[in-house]
Amino acid sequence: MLIGRRRRRVLSPLPSRIGNVARVRFAASGALDPRGPAARAIADLWWLMLGLGAATFVVFALVLVRGLLRGSASADDPGDERPGWLVLLGGVALPTVVLTIVLAFTVRTMHTIPNAAPEGTLQIEVIGHQWWWEIRYPQHGIVTANEVHLPVGRPVEFLLTSADVIHSFWIPQLGGKLDLLPEDVNTLVLQSDTPGVYRSQCAEFCGLQHAKMGLLAIAEPEERFSEWLQREQAPARATASSSAAAGGQQLFADVGCTSCHTVRGTAADGTGGPDLTHFASRQTLAAGSLPNTPEHLEGWVTDPHAIKEGVGMPATELDEGQRRVLIQYLEGLR
Amino acid sequence: MSDDEPEEGPGRPGSPRATPSVERPSTDEELASEWADPPGLWGRLRAVQNDAIGQRLLLTGFFFLILGGSLDSVAMRLQLARPESDLLSPQLFNELFTNHGSVTMFLVILPIFEGFAILLLPFLLGTREMPFPRLGAFAYYTFLFGGLLYYSSTLFQLVPDAGWFAYAPLSSNEFSPGLALDFWVLGLGVAEVGAIAAAGEIIIGILKMRAPGMTLSRLPLFAWAMLVTAFMILFAFTPLIVGSLLLELDRGFHTQFFNVEQGGSVLLWQHLFWIFGHPEVYIQFLPAAGIVSMVLPVFVRRKIAGYTWLVGAFVAIGFLSFGLWAHHMFAVGLPPLVLSFFAAASLVIGIPAGVQIFAWLATLWSGKPVWNTAFLFVLGFLVIFVIGGITGIMVAAVPFDLQAHDTYFIVAHLHYVLIGGVGFPIFAGIYYWWPKYTGRLLDERLGKLSFWLLFIGVNVTFFPMHIVGLLGMPRRVYTYPSGLGWEIWNMISTAGVFLIVPGILLFIVNIIYSKRRGAPAGANPWGGDTLEWAVASPPLDHGWSVLPIVHSRHPLWDQPAVSEGDAKLERFVEALAQWPLRWRAALIVRTTDALPEEVFRVAGPSVWPFVTAIGLVTIFAAELLKLRLGALAGALVVVAGAIGWNWPERPPIDEEEELAFEREHGVPVRAGGSDVVAQWGMGLSILFVAIAFASFLLTYFYLRLENDVWPPAGIALPDARLFAVSAALAIAGVVAAYVAVRRIRLGDHRGLRLSLGGMLAFGSAAMALQIISYSRLGFGGTDHAYGSIFFTLGGFCFGVLGVALIMGAMTLVWGFRHALTPRRHVTASNTARFWAAAVTVWVIGFSTLYLGPYLT
Repeated sequence: MLIGRRRRRVLSPLPSRIGNVARVRFAASGALDPRGPAARAIADLWWLMLGLGAATFVVFALVLVRGLLRGSASADDPGDERPGWLVLLGGVALPTVVLTIVLAFTVRTMHTIPNAAPEGTLQIEVIGHQWWWEIRYPQHGIVTANEVHLPVGRPVEFLLTSADVIHSFWIPQLGGKLDLLPEDVNTLVLQSDTPGVYRSQCAEFCGLQHAKMGLLAIAEPEERFSEWLQREQAPARATASSSAAAGGQQLFADVGCTSCHTVRGTAADGTGGPDLTHFASRQTLAAGSLPNTPEHLEGWVTDPHAIKEGVGMPATELDEGQRRVLIQYLEGLR
Repeated sequence: MSDDEPEEGPGRPGSPRATPSVERPSTDEELASEWADPPGLWGRLRAVQNDAIGQRLLLTGFFFLILGGSLDSVAMRLQLARPESDLLSPQLFNELFTNHGSVTMFLVILPIFEGFAILLLPFLLGTREMPFPRLGAFAYYTFLFGGLLYYSSTLFQLVPDAGWFAYAPLSSNEFSPGLALDFWVLGLGVAEVGAIAAAGEIIIGILKMRAPGMTLSRLPLFAWAMLVTAFMILFAFTPLIVGSLLLELDRGFHTQFFNVEQGGSVLLWQHLFWIFGHPEVYIQFLPAAGIVSMVLPVFVRRKIAGYTWLVGAFVAIGFLSFGLWAHHMFAVGLPPLVLSFFAAASLVIGIPAGVQIFAWLATLWSGKPVWNTAFLFVLGFLVIFVIGGITGIMVAAVPFDLQAHDTYFIVAHLHYVLIGGVGFPIFAGIYYWWPKYTGRLLDERLGKLSFWLLFIGVNVTFFPMHIVGLLGMPRRVYTYPSGLGWEIWNMISTAGVFLIVPGILLFIVNIIYSKRRGAPAGANPWGGDTLEWAVASPPLDHGWSVLPIVHSRHPLWDQPAVSEGDAKLERFVEALAQWPLRWRAALIVRTTDALPEEVFRVAGPSVWPFVTAIGLVTIFAAELLKLRLGALAGALVVVAGAIGWNWPERPPIDEEEELAFEREHGVPVRAGGSDVVAQWGMGLSILFVAIAFASFLLTYFYLRLENDVWPPAGIALPDARLFAVSAALAIAGVVAAYVAVRRIRLGDHRGLRLSLGGMLAFGSAAMALQIISYSRLGFGGTDHAYGSIFFTLGGFCFGVLGVALIMGAMTLVWGFRHALTPRRHVTASNTARFWAAAVTVWVIGFSTLYLGPYLT
């Protein structure tokens, strides 16, 4: 009963909370709000095709309406095969012209969008898991999860692969999507021209919680980005008083968190779940499902399946005091 | 408006000419009773008549449409109406969209169109039956049993949940444990077999069974569309069956085709699936285009403009659709050159599509429309399909597709194409042909109301999905957060469903009401131009007492009478109205000039198709439950069923009576069963084997390219010596088979039996050697993809030669019973043909396996 009630308390405010978070943080949404060169080229292609498509539809509609209203002088005579010119003009000439234009711009757009980056470009490895994202910066020795930071104004090379099933990586404001395959590494080059927080989510059905496999892409000016890199490179540093931190760290190991999670700089070195070294600096919980606040974290740690049914993380039974210590510890991982 | 009322009676609009009669009161009754299916429940199980089979396919297709097409979608739309809704659990939602896609793609549109075809074609083409009535019955039962096997997953709470595309490795044992996916693979697998069986029936029916004079250039456009469609089914569903087999082997027998760790590839599944999946879209669209090409001209009172253009467009679409599959895979990381190729190919298909649209518009231009329900559905089709076509062109543009792929933009696109482009023509076809089979018209007021609800509802539901897709909403999500600008569009979409549902309900009400109370229709209520409007509504069981003689594409508009022609032909069709009355006689025509080629006895009622289908579904159900002995029992039932089905019946007349008719009319009679149809049937069976074989070879070479080391470390290169001997023996078997045919042609029964015996001995020896060679391989089928394909492709070669052996043994039995004569020996020549095919597969298949690893 107690658990049931608590669960309800934790759960009920969620929809509005997420809504608020979304409204406050995300300025943009979708492919038609391009923030980088690739997305812009695609949006241009879209507007061109929309114009051509609308024009084609208008031609079709005019011919249709005229045909319907026209009536025929000699309604009794089924006649022979006629209006061949209409078939030739509308059926062959019109599509040929439209399609040639579309093809030309398609090929041009494909050439505009780079699919490889020069040596020395910032590389970010994205590894798909059911249902979260492992993010690595191999040139900087950083491992994090569900949040990708990138500098503004220069291309970034994403190396995409999967640890289990097929997922798909997609930041609509920055460009097209590309699959994460277990058998290969796909390369996607993206660039953000303005700072911003872009919401992204898995775009290939990947099982039960496909809908809750979200990712934040955070584009920052160079300075802030290199600060972030430095922070992330450092091992975990708990800000709470050291004795409390030590207790939390112990509890983290005792209740089994360390078998899946890594906290660099401590003994925790599990690899089944997200790296939590700088967990508290991340904006969301449960792969973009919840804002990262102590209340949500408490709900997530004690009963993750109430929030994201079927997720790999088990529920943890904790008493009131343990819960406080553990949350405090996690919130201290900045 | 008087235009609202269909004109009664006259064949040609406005002309005083009555619909020409094709009846012969003296023999109508006798013929109809000979052709009727037997009464009672037992009789129904044995029914093979095209009317019965066609109607069952249509009804069952609609049943699955209501179940999987409608109920699922209402539930899903309710869940998605608001963000963060918890109306449905994630598991249930995933099951619903998996079911919705699988059912509509496999169990709805295809049986409905195959039902249309089997029901209509004999009337459209002026013939009495389809060529293989028993195959039609088998196709129906396999489709029904497959659908039920698939749906039985609900009873066990093991509903498939990996999407209608079942991408590996999500569909593998590791990520989808339990039996749910097995229900998907095996249930739909049975239904796919039915689709292929019906396709063979349709191809031969259109090419060989037509009225005298109905040349290919006079073929009704629906028949053209179905001809192309049926070939596409054969070429598209066969790779899917192979792919499904590999998936099931991975799941049930632990092979490694899709396991990346052991040399498999997850993209192999996508290639096999989309080689089927893209043509499937046009397999669904082409019959719809055929229906539109039939209905539209009648309601604008004008002959179709650009007949030849339309035929060309159908054929072009058929070919092109096989070159587009990778446009479903733009996001998997294919090389840019490949992407450009598939983008260009996808765009090119816009040209035949444009030709179709403007041929219909040109027809409409030259005529004056009759605004009834069927015509409205055609108009609705044109508008919605053009929008779907335009968005289709957009997603062929690779960079844009990378934004649109797997978003609601695609959901919008595909529903515009499938509901507007396929659903609306189905409705048009039902309103148009309903009177022919019930003798009553559907109610026009209810029909128009239903049309407007559906037309508006479809647009309200699906148009907003374009927008929400562009705003970044992915497909197949059970919920979404608020604040992304998606709420309003989802709410509108859901609201639209509440227009579609009453639209469909009104249609059902109309059907029930008009079945009993509808206005009497008469033979030709619309003043139609094609042959089906010359027979009574509803038609007699055999359709035609006097076969029509065709001189025009629009016989009822252009010909003064349906059965007039040169004196010899007239005498011939008149003779067939009088004789035979004791067995089902149908006419085969020459493919191009449509002159009579053969009168043959169509197979009659039989329970064996039902038994064979039971056996087939038993194999699959037993495999599902991992009862290997059950599967073996099922296989035995299939073999027994196939033998019983094809058991030669004593011809109702002797060869002398056959020859008498032939001497008088110059057309051979085959009361024992047709040679021509049997040869075509064998030809298509061999084509089917060849396509399946090609799919296995493709799998082999795809895996070969994916693996740098082949065979994998620790496995020796294969030893081809025993295979060389077995190949030589198999080839000797083919030689013996052809010697057997030669012996029976010369009337040498002993020579026939000896050479058939030799053939069986050579074949068995070849198999035995190959089994020895396999037993010495030193690796199994489950360790690595190399072993998996080695055993699976090898198993296929064994299977094909095994069928050849059974066929040869049956022929030998018939040889002992003296059932083969110099005049009736098609069984022997078909056996020889199949042996040649089987041994070709044997030699190429094992050469690939034994010699392939030596290639670098």
